[in-house]
Amino acid sequence: MNNQEVKIISKIIRELSHYVMIHGYKNYTLETRIEEKVTYFKLSIQNPSKAMLEKMKEKVSRERELEVETYGWELIGDIDEKTELEILGLLIDEMVIEKKEDMTHITLIRESRYKE
Amino acid sequence: MINLYRALKKKMMLPMIFIVLFTMAFLFDDLSSIAQGYLNILQSPSVLISDYLHIGGLGATLFNVATIMLINILMLRALKLKMSGPIFAGLLTIAGFSFFGKNIFNTIPIYFGIYLHARHQRLPFKSFIIVVLFSTGISPIVSFLIFGTGWPYYIGIPAGTAAGILTGFTLPAISAHVIRFHKGYNLYNIGFAMGILSMLYAAILTTLFGFDLFVFESTTSEAYHTELLVLTLILSGIFIASGFINDPHVLKKYPKLLNSTGRLVSDFIRDAGRDISMVNVGVMGLISVLAITVLRIQINGAVMGGILTVMGFGAFGKHPRNSIPVMLGASIWFLLSPIVTGEEAGVGLAIAVLFVTAVAPIAGRFGIFLGIFAGFVHIVLTPFTYVFQGGFDLYNNGFAAGFVAALLVPVFEFLTKKKEVEEGEA
Repeated sequence: MNNQEVKIISKIIRELSHYVMIHGYKNYTLETRIEEKVTYFKLSIQNPSKAMLEKMKEKVSRERELEVETYGWELIGDIDEKTELEILGLLIDEMVIEKKEDMTHITLIRESRYKE
Repeated sequence: MINLYRALKKKMMLPMIFIVLFTMAFLFDDLSSIAQGYLNILQSPSVLISDYLHIGGLGATLFNVATIMLINILMLRALKLKMSGPIFAGLLTIAGFSFFGKNIFNTIPIYFGIYLHARHQRLPFKSFIIVVLFSTGISPIVSFLIFGTGWPYYIGIPAGTAAGILTGFTLPAISAHVIRFHKGYNLYNIGFAMGILSMLYAAILTTLFGFDLFVFESTTSEAYHTELLVLTLILSGIFIASGFINDPHVLKKYPKLLNSTGRLVSDFIRDAGRDISMVNVGVMGLISVLAITVLRIQINGAVMGGILTVMGFGAFGKHPRNSIPVMLGASIWFLLSPIVTGEEAGVGLAIAVLFVTAVAPIAGRFGIFLGIFAGFVHIVLTPFTYVFQGGFDLYNNGFAAGFVAALLVPVFEFLTKKKEVEEGEA
């Protein structure tokens, strides 16, 4: 896997963990599955607040921007209440939210566009 | 008038600005004056502050601005890039600095260096577009090695070209790295990266080759103040009108834009919409005019560069709420400086009143009073960073702003966090 892709995936994991924790959730799981061309980040939280989910939907469902892969991505993982997920949303291709009983599973999908 | 309305409706502002500048060049000067002035511009060492209005005259300078804008607009079209906040800011910054330091001759090697970087990274060149558009702030290194060293052209041209290519090749990596230093609170991050590179170049040229980098005359021309003031007002009016023509209720979107801290990477066109971003661009132009009028600053090439850059960043991080406090902070020292030092405030301080908006996100995040303080610290620091970097980094304020943000943001974060904990406990 391209070294740049590894760095970006690591930063995304950090930002997601940070985001969940600063919103006060202490019990969550974050699974990462890295396939040849696609990486899946699956965040499972018990009864997340509606506000937090709406914010995620708004920020992460943005169109991916290739320019951010080369300028600005280094800032993810270092967030405050006003800028959280701003950049992460530009590095993700798709977001899927599933609810099963009291658990909510949020899957973020990122395609690698780097050549080996 | 109908054509103007249609152009604004079709959102063709940037090509239109090129046409306005190109036409104005030939209104102010005849062809032979423009040709001679343009040649003088191309042969200038271009280090800070080389006012092209003084070196080449108004017609040649506007021709220089128009041609560089045209090349970049064509490049964006060829790369099939859609307009975004950073791209818009990049284009207006290029236009602004084409009044004092950038020309077609000294920018191309840097673009080529970034192209080589993209090839090396096996990424499309267009993914580096933000770095590309801001990269030419270090273009004086190319001109200096060719025209400022006294070396014969068979040494100077290869040396200048090689330095430009090397700079372009390394800049994407350095700019991505240093953004963490100030946490995105310096909007001129690439200016900061280039300041560090410039510092290295300045050290090599003075220590190893014995050059005196401050030997060049830094004369500016204020002869075209009225014309450039009118041009700024016209451009601001065009941007504001375009927002209202495309959406009569555009102001409803302004609170969302004003609520942004402006921290990198705040693309207002993406986040708040194109029409309100254009209104904000125009408003930032009017605020700049107000500031220089109140402070009695005359427009020269460098000041015009500052105004256009502030306007450009109206789509990429700057708005009245985060910019006015830092401008106020800088204005305090601009007014106090003659009393304290006994010397009239120079052009460096005058442009710092505009370029201080590099640290606007500090006011956006931490409020008015800390914003004013940051603006004050910034303007005090800029003359020192200029000496460090030898004048090769046209974005000297970006270099200074990197240090200001890196120094102040951790302290302000600490103070704010403490307050939040106290509020939480109560």
